[in-house]
Amino acid sequence: MLEVNRVRAGYGAINVLWDLSLTIREGEVTAIIGPNGAGKTTLLRAIMGLIPLSQGDIALHGDSLAGRQTWSIARHGISLIPEGRLVFRDMTVEDNLTMGAFPNSRRAGVAHNLARVYELFPRLAERRRQLAGALSGGEAQMVAIGRGLMAEPSVLLVDEPSLGLAPVMVQEIFGILERLKAEGRTIVLVEQNTHLALSLADHVHLMQAGRLLLSEPAPRVDLQRLHDLYFAR
Amino acid sequence: MKPIAPVAVLAAAYLLVPLLLGGNAYLMTLLVSALIIAGIALAWALLGNLGGMVSFGHAAFFGVGAYTSALLSMQAGLPVLLAIPLGGLGAALAAVAVLPALRLSGPYFALAILAYAHIFRILATELKSLTGGSAGILGIPGLPTLGGLELGSRNGQYLLVLTVVLAFIALYRAIWRSDYGLALRAMHDSEDATRVVGVNSTLLKAAMLFVSAFMTGTIGALNAHVINFLDPDYAFSGAWTIVPIAAAIFGGYRTLGGPLLGAIAVYLLDQLLFKALFPSGHQIILGVLLGAMILLSPNGLLPWISRRLQRRPATEVRHAAA
Repeated sequence: MLEVNRVRAGYGAINVLWDLSLTIREGEVTAIIGPNGAGKTTLLRAIMGLIPLSQGDIALHGDSLAGRQTWSIARHGISLIPEGRLVFRDMTVEDNLTMGAFPNSRRAGVAHNLARVYELFPRLAERRRQLAGALSGGEAQMVAIGRGLMAEPSVLLVDEPSLGLAPVMVQEIFGILERLKAEGRTIVLVEQNTHLALSLADHVHLMQAGRLLLSEPAPRVDLQRLHDLYFAR
Repeated sequence: MKPIAPVAVLAAAYLLVPLLLGGNAYLMTLLVSALIIAGIALAWALLGNLGGMVSFGHAAFFGVGAYTSALLSMQAGLPVLLAIPLGGLGAALAAVAVLPALRLSGPYFALAILAYAHIFRILATELKSLTGGSAGILGIPGLPTLGGLELGSRNGQYLLVLTVVLAFIALYRAIWRSDYGLALRAMHDSEDATRVVGVNSTLLKAAMLFVSAFMTGTIGALNAHVINFLDPDYAFSGAWTIVPIAAAIFGGYRTLGGPLLGAIAVYLLDQLLFKALFPSGHQIILGVLLGAMILLSPNGLLPWISRRLQRRPATEVRHAAA
């Protein structure tokens, strides 16, 4: 449903993605793994329109997203749960979540979706009136995921949800992702923790230096070979 | 206590001030000027708080509003009360020229808009056939009489400017509480994060610039019909930027009432006390005043007052217990 076709993108004079192509299939979890600086986050930012494409195209359900502004892509049904969470620190948990349903077309479902997010994260329901800046890292990640779900996206882009979290919290977050997968959601997961990513994924792409090194269905991935590729220069 | 306090303040502002001080022409003139500063301070605080932009160029909107209204009422013969809001629209139109600067942020935006302000001042000086150049415009019509109320009188001017400033506070509050206000406040933390959830942040920032310019231009127009005279050095004076900024920060620029309170406090202190102490260069004390306020309460006077009002009952209870 989401086609990335020969995409080149980067930051000003520095190009990061080199003619990258991949397909994200509906209802699957697509994991993108790779070392630091491979361009994983850049790929998500390019899909979201946060950086312009210098070449190639990205299409959702056949509609090109190239040249579109980020807010328009968000309204088109793609939600990014950004690296480092980027919650609105000076606002309450509930206001953060409400912001997730900002587009007019999503306003009607706010109450229903809030209830769903609180059911998914009971801890957030307890803290709905607290400022998001006062939350722990794991709770902030829950807010970021909840905010991403508020718009009822057709594709969820999740950027390094385990970053900087305690192992217990990482397990809890991945438990939630597992549930979302069971609901049949389309998820693109960028992750450095290969074990976790493989346990969740239907399809695995290994990125390095802005290119795909390997693309395989998760059951066929040989961990040894993956690690050899991962650590090879 | 809470619902009564604003009503009491409003009643005092609308009834007590004209009744008690109405005879003192000098004091009423000072109050009108303080309210003019308050209007700009409010518009400036709105742009900073909701748009996240620090402006050093509000004198441009003030001057454009003043000239637009003066020229429309004198040369096109429009009624003054119609020309004033059109002055606000003129300033909003001038803000279109500032739009490219929205790509900048922080100090870069502040410096760019400072340069813009200067451009408008040069235009007012050089377009001699329209604006009279540096000689200025004399005999700008005063405020009319409306339904028996002489708006041109000292009390009338005071009541009109007060009403406009309060209406702007109400508008600011409505924006603040709306969904757009929520999105604008979210932008403080991360503009990328707001775009990602579907907020057209550029459009919202531009809208805040227009609202702020409109408010400032309307105030500039009001002022032109109060003092009946304009020249480029006066209309685009940096004082129309600096004093409101000092007032807004002094009063508490993150609160709705802070800029108004700050403007009255700062302007009256400056004119009644500092000016008597140092006939020239008295504005320099504003810097000292601002520094002292930041040491006392970094958020300004209004948050400090409300904190003290909230704390007092608690201390009384403690004393009673002891």
